[in-house]
Amino acid sequence: MASISLKYKSKQGSLTAPGDVDPGAMIPIATTTLTTTTATVTFSSIPQSYEHLQIRIWGYNTSGSDRTLWLQFNSDSGSNYRNHWLSGNGSAASAGADSAATVGILPLNASSSQTGFNGDSTKASVVIMDILDYTNTNKYTTVRTLGGWDGNGGGYAYLASGLWMNTAAISTLYFQLPYSTNFGANTTFALYGIKRAGA
Amino acid sequence: MAYTYSKIATYTVGSGGVASIDFLNIPQTYTDLVLQVSLRNTTNNYWASIKFNNSTSNFRIITLQGTGSIVSWNADNSGTYALNPVASAMTANTFGSGIIYIPNYTSSNYKSFLDDATQENNATESYWGVSAGLWSNTAAINAISLVSGATAFAQYSTAHLYGIKAEL
Repeated sequence: MASISLKYKSKQGSLTAPGDVDPGAMIPIATTTLTTTTATVTFSSIPQSYEHLQIRIWGYNTSGSDRTLWLQFNSDSGSNYRNHWLSGNGSAASAGADSAATVGILPLNASSSQTGFNGDSTKASVVIMDILDYTNTNKYTTVRTLGGWDGNGGGYAYLASGLWMNTAAISTLYFQLPYSTNFGANTTFALYGIKRAGA
Repeated sequence: MAYTYSKIATYTVGSGGVASIDFLNIPQTYTDLVLQVSLRNTTNNYWASIKFNNSTSNFRIITLQGTGSIVSWNADNSGTYALNPVASAMTANTFGSGIIYIPNYTSSNYKSFLDDATQENNATESYWGVSAGLWSNTAAINAISLVSGATAFAQYSTAHLYGIKAEL
């Protein structure tokens, strides 16, 4: 059994337990607030000094209809992604999976009903994506996404996951929407790094 | 002074795996705890258990989950629930992703907690969901254990414990 005593350091496994507590582990890396409609948003040269990444998105698309949200890692547009989702629309719940896709489709498949990122600027979507261990080259990347929007009569809430089948450390995040749709003005993407204990 | 997450401890599973990951003597100086986990089991099992203060008693957990194309739900009294470590039969190099929120962990109330956790797999089958839990015990939480539902958590599994302090 592996134990971490926060008074006495364990000798088992790989342990990091700081003697002194750092008052802040969630650090803003970059924030982008769009001043005009924009087709893509990119975070590049992401520092490799954190343990996890979190992306927080508030916004909408300009099509007037729902869209899914696409994310690619490190400019990989190959068939190296997989997606799963659980969603509810206020009257029904559903679950699904995306077959191997050309791009990372989070949270839902572009070829089926589009939800997740609303097309109304007055009823914006909120998305939180967590990427744990993003620099670990022994693991594929698993993305966990919580998000939704409420349309004051309609809407969606979802928990989604995505898999990027590549062990490379993540250095670039590339967001876009399907069907040549743009992100709306004032849409905000905020990238945070979360430190590990001892860092 | 406002705090963001405060790092408490990180555990990375080494070669050979471990049956459980234990955080002991948790400082009592925060308001809430957050546990971020990236887990894989060494055998073909999708589950993990959580214990507070080495207790498996008085747990109740309700889970809403998706399994491929099916929505389901589950209620459990054992503490075994949807931390969703990736099973060994699933895609190699793949680990689950989960977060557990434990607010007011030092209070003398029963302890409510919340988590969302996902597996992943290069196939339709995968498990992911949200859970609400209750530990019917008034003791402050000073230890948290994650116990593999399989033989062990696999090498490179990680668990990160953070504290959050409310603004005074």
